[in-house]
Amino acid sequence: MLKSTERNAGSFFIIATVFFFIGGILTTALPAVIEKSWNKPSAGMKPYTESEARGKAIYVREGCWYCHTQQIRTLEADVKRYGWRGVDAPISTPSEFTRDAPHMFGTKRTGPDLARVGGKYDKSWHKTHFKNPRDLVPGSIMPPFPWILTGNNGQDFEDLVAYIQSMGRTIPWRPNNDYER
Amino acid sequence: MSSGLSRAWREEPSSTLFLLSSVVFFAITTLVGLLVATKFVFPEFMGNISFLTYGRLRPLHINGVLFGWLLAADMGLCFYLVPRLCGNKLWSEKLGIANAILFDLIILGAVFTTTAGITQGMEYAELPFVLDVGVVVAWLMFGANVFGTVATRKHEKMYASTWYIMGAVIWTAFVYLAGNFATIFFSGTNQANLNWFYVHNAVGLIFTPLGVGIAYYFIPKASQSPLYSHRLSMIGFWTIAFIYVWTGAHHMIHGPISQWLQTVSILFSAMLIIPVWTVIVNFFGTVSGKWDKVRQDPILKFLMAGTTFYLLTCFQGPMHSLRTVNAIVSKTDWIVGHAHMAVLGAFSFFAIAGSLFAVPVLAGRQLHSLKLANQAFWLIFTGGIVFFAGLWVGGFMQGLQWNNPAIPFIDTVKFMRPFWIVRLLSGALVYVGIFLIFYNLIRTLTGSAVERAATSPAV
Repeated sequence: MLKSTERNAGSFFIIATVFFFIGGILTTALPAVIEKSWNKPSAGMKPYTESEARGKAIYVREGCWYCHTQQIRTLEADVKRYGWRGVDAPISTPSEFTRDAPHMFGTKRTGPDLARVGGKYDKSWHKTHFKNPRDLVPGSIMPPFPWILTGNNGQDFEDLVAYIQSMGRTIPWRPNNDYER
Repeated sequence: MSSGLSRAWREEPSSTLFLLSSVVFFAITTLVGLLVATKFVFPEFMGNISFLTYGRLRPLHINGVLFGWLLAADMGLCFYLVPRLCGNKLWSEKLGIANAILFDLIILGAVFTTTAGITQGMEYAELPFVLDVGVVVAWLMFGANVFGTVATRKHEKMYASTWYIMGAVIWTAFVYLAGNFATIFFSGTNQANLNWFYVHNAVGLIFTPLGVGIAYYFIPKASQSPLYSHRLSMIGFWTIAFIYVWTGAHHMIHGPISQWLQTVSILFSAMLIIPVWTVIVNFFGTVSGKWDKVRQDPILKFLMAGTTFYLLTCFQGPMHSLRTVNAIVSKTDWIVGHAHMAVLGAFSFFAIAGSLFAVPVLAGRQLHSLKLANQAFWLIFTGGIVFFAGLWVGGFMQGLQWNNPAIPFIDTVKFMRPFWIVRLLSGALVYVGIFLIFYNLIRTLTGSAVERAATSPAV
């Protein structure tokens, strides 16, 4: 069968396309159909508020996701590292991310993972940090973001912080001693 | 006396236009890469200007290098070698010229949108919808030209390069649609799965078949020896056609995605060793006994070094997908070293070699300077090895440190600084080499270099 493709571009086209679609469909379309949890929102999840949605747009625009992943993997190291004050971070599940488009799983951790960062640092911490990260974290290589602090008369900053505080909070996990309690 | 450029433009304008614009974008977008590397060492460097911040320059570097340089160079080389393998002319030069102009306008548009922060927020899929539509149109034009040339061919039997290029034409269309259009209808894990399907196959089913197809043409050509095994090339082609597409989920090992899909991606990743080894054996078999030529010829140097990097990259890939290895290297700088070995070390080397071969033929001239091309090779090769290996060592140790939650994250950042300095310095060496390639090719086209002794009908 494959031998004929040496001389016949038509049969080449058909076989190359069929091969592609076998693997393509079984790894993308099939899971979308059979994995119900992938589009079933977790119990406590509401859509992003307007402010959080604007904040997420800024997060996307500035490419925060190139350096910060949002996924607690099924690794002891992730669960421990991204917990808070002695409480382990729950492993991320697909249900927590159904409202995310674009998805923000990320691929590189130049900075720490942010999947459970909501509620850990208050607004004044973020203000100082965006102005110059090294004032709070010596040795950090995160860029300064002065234009976020001033954008839209400070609304950009408010929105971005609202988004950050929403991260990882669609399931109850936080300890009683984060800054808000 | 007309310049080499006017001859190239008269004879094969589509190929010339693609090769010329690609090497210009090569010199620009790798410079952006150097700026990005600088930011890792000096985070305040150009840091207070929104359109020059890291998060905007990184997508400019990556999209620019992948599409502005590598894909455009590959397209130019396809226009060069497909007609030669088919024994005829390009199906339509007019279509090819329009194709190159449209493609370059898309890249210029992308320079604007990425620095302005206009992005779809997914890896390799940053370009906004309008530009995505442009890419699809440009690809259909390209495909029509390739298949038009193949359909009107004089030689009935098709060579390995022709299959690889035809395969790339077909797969790129579907891969691009999946990553830039199908993703619109999904969110969360479903969207991520499609995104990684696209990212992985952009390398595996776009740049791999184009690069390997180009090497299949130029390695026998430059070494003046017949291909080692036709049958092996066929086995390699059809195994890659079947296996590669299954592996996208290996980018999310241990992540919020089903275990069975991770396992499928790991199994197929391991099987990728089959097509890769057929290619490697075939390439090394072809130059066997001709290594004295490699010493002289920068084109063969790029081809064989690229083949070696291809082997190493494709050994690393399956290893990374194993769960235990993945738990250490995933998300670290190791992967950045791996990705640069694939795109710069393997596929850019093939494209550079092809350009160094094709541009003088198109121009009807000798290459401006053989010596300069050899020097460029050694700069990019040694700089590249230090670049890749530095990030592997640093990234691996970083990964081990992450696996110990007692070590604060910021300490692992500070730990990486020496490796980022090495990356910046070795990257600068690479850049000098890239600039020499750019200069050499431009001078071949525009300078007063010697005309080719016999303007050989290079088939």
